[in-house]
Amino acid sequence: MAKRSFSTLLAYSGAVLLLAAVLLRAGITRAWVDDLTDTTPPRSIKLRVWDWWSPSYNEEYGAYFDDLERTFEANNPDIDLVYQNIPFGNYVQKLSTAMVGRTPPDVFQSSVYWAEGFYQRGMLRPLNDLLAENSRRPTHQRVTSDTFLPSAWRHNHTPSGTVFGIPQIIDAQCLIWNLDLLEHAAQDDAEIRALFVQRTDETVDYNRLRFDAVRDWDHFRRIAQKLTTHHPDGSIDQAGFVVSAYSSGAGMFSPWMAANGGRYQDAYGTKAHFAAANGVEAMQFIARLYWEDGVCPPFRRQISDVELFQEGKVACMVAGTWSGKDIVRNTLGWDHFAKTAFPPGPRGQEQKTMTWGNMLVITQRCTNVEAAWRYIQFVCSLEGNLLRHKHLGYNGPRLDFYATPAWSQTLANRPYLSNVKEICLAGDKLRHTEIIATNHQANPIIETILLRYPDIVAGKGPYASVAAALAQAEHNVDNVYRRYNQQVALWLAQRGETP
Amino acid sequence: MNLRRRLVPYLYIAPAFALTLVFSFVSMGISLYASFHHFDAFAGSSAFVGFDNYRRALWAPDSYFWVTMRNTGLYVIMTVVGVIATALPLALLCQRAPRGQALFRTLYFLPSITPGVVIALVFYHIFGVWGQLLDKAHTALPALALLGIWAGAGYNMVIFLAGLSDIPQHFYDAAKVDGANRWQQFRHITIPMLRNTLVFVAVMTIIGSFQVFTSVYIMTLGGPERSTEVIAYTIFINAFAVAGQMGYASALAWLLFAAVFVFVLVQMRVFRSRKVYDE
Repeated sequence: MAKRSFSTLLAYSGAVLLLAAVLLRAGITRAWVDDLTDTTPPRSIKLRVWDWWSPSYNEEYGAYFDDLERTFEANNPDIDLVYQNIPFGNYVQKLSTAMVGRTPPDVFQSSVYWAEGFYQRGMLRPLNDLLAENSRRPTHQRVTSDTFLPSAWRHNHTPSGTVFGIPQIIDAQCLIWNLDLLEHAAQDDAEIRALFVQRTDETVDYNRLRFDAVRDWDHFRRIAQKLTTHHPDGSIDQAGFVVSAYSSGAGMFSPWMAANGGRYQDAYGTKAHFAAANGVEAMQFIARLYWEDGVCPPFRRQISDVELFQEGKVACMVAGTWSGKDIVRNTLGWDHFAKTAFPPGPRGQEQKTMTWGNMLVITQRCTNVEAAWRYIQFVCSLEGNLLRHKHLGYNGPRLDFYATPAWSQTLANRPYLSNVKEICLAGDKLRHTEIIATNHQANPIIETILLRYPDIVAGKGPYASVAAALAQAEHNVDNVYRRYNQQVALWLAQRGETP
Repeated sequence: MNLRRRLVPYLYIAPAFALTLVFSFVSMGISLYASFHHFDAFAGSSAFVGFDNYRRALWAPDSYFWVTMRNTGLYVIMTVVGVIATALPLALLCQRAPRGQALFRTLYFLPSITPGVVIALVFYHIFGVWGQLLDKAHTALPALALLGIWAGAGYNMVIFLAGLSDIPQHFYDAAKVDGANRWQQFRHITIPMLRNTLVFVAVMTIIGSFQVFTSVYIMTLGGPERSTEVIAYTIFINAFAVAGQMGYASALAWLLFAAVFVFVLVQMRVFRSRKVYDE
């Protein structure tokens, strides 16, 4: 009997301890407990910041957020920074709900995917007055347009000049090349050897590619063919390039089209332009690489481009300039790759790509704009850029970032970043209006073109031609823009503003 | 006293009724209201548009309603047939298992309590190995249906087991005396006696299949070439990813409701419950 009582007592004690542990360390109760045990003097301002970046991504992000919070709070003893992580996929819904429920964050990182839409909904505070005050500060603390790469300062303002965000990062799509495979091929091939940078003593630097290494589309096709090898049964062993057909749609299409002098949409989000001749040629070029030139591995939904690239199965892929650090991490230190922009097509003039700069914004319902602005100024200053670079390896959107010893040291240690600034500068503005909705309309058609290109060319496909397919996609996207602009007009009318 | 006694049951059901009222019927009411308006989740209702949202869904050239209904219908047919064809044999086998019936029941029921996202992620890779089922327009939807059958068979097996246990043993004893073999017993006793269970399983599976979303969202995003774009996915995209289209999404949702309602009504008429034996 005594034994049973003891085990019962033990079970209850365990349950109580477990409950106490949960209450102490989990959920909202953790904050209460922390407040009770915190001995530091209370700060008068609580600044809520939303971000899809999270300390839980990996230890680098953890260290970054720790350092950022520590440094900012040390310089601003009246502000208590409170980070809240919101998954990327739920950002729009959660922010809209928070705005309607009058509980939005003070500051948040906004992707260019949503920034324009958030502003047009009236959710973001215009920053022009704050920027006017900021323009009097020393250059390294300024966050005005003249301190940023021009390609970073594109998605953060309206065509009429109202600024609603300050760029925190800059990203661009680029071609990433496996230098192990290129170096091997370069031993017997002068054309591939010429892609590499030549040192002043005329030796080849096999760690760097020239920014304009690939002259044009024909040159690219030839290089890709040379880098493609086959098994005895004819299947591809090593591919020169990889094309992704499933769901990615405009992802690869847009930069190739930009290199051919085309663009996806107009600045105001009222008209799509991708079915013009530049777009049709870009689409045909991509499809032919796969179907006619035979330089790509078979379309596979479950195997990503980057997986094939990291395995050394593909010599070149399309990815973002940010992806280098992830490749190094995933491959446990392999960094023998390089980045270039997209070579010009028959209608293009120069190396091109798509660029974007995700930004920090202040919500309309922010209760302490001055504190929020102090935070943005710090994060987007040169010091903030260097902090992000130190922990996360991001190149900065600021011009002065590229003149720092830290960046020079990084270029020496990580040659794969050597063209990144030029790539970012060569970028056109990434499409920005109702991206998810336009994807829903256009991507399945682009997918059909890529998957059924031979049928379409033979006149047996679901569309009469590539041009007809893109025209259909463009028409559908125009309908999205038309409906969206009607909605914008309603939002403006509700706020008593004129379009 | 009499009045008090009569009120007590209503008090007991009041909390559940209130929850249902608020979270089901009020939501449905708002959705119906939204379907006749231009409705933005952020800004709220702005203009009465009558049947415009319905008209757009049914007849606009850039509407994918009929494509998604075709896909959904095919998915429903494959899933309902597959679930019944899997769950009933499993139930019969389980019922006859001399040992470990509880273990088999538990094992087959496990998929029903596994989160749909987890199942979808696992099957995403399994289908990648099995002949790239998700890569082709003509195999992607059957692959999703296969997942639906796998996930739903265990739950429905338990329902069939309950139905089988309700069939009096003396029916089978009498049939054996009359010389009926196993198939004849199944055909003339089990199936008729399971009629109500069959209808219940079919109706519930139809309703669930019409609402398929998670597997599509995780595995295919409606592709390739819209071959797996089902109505629930289109509703989600329009409601939560496109500005100002909540009214249109609500209209799509009510059209889905109408389709399910008609489907189930027809089925209930055809397989109308009736007494099949005298006690």
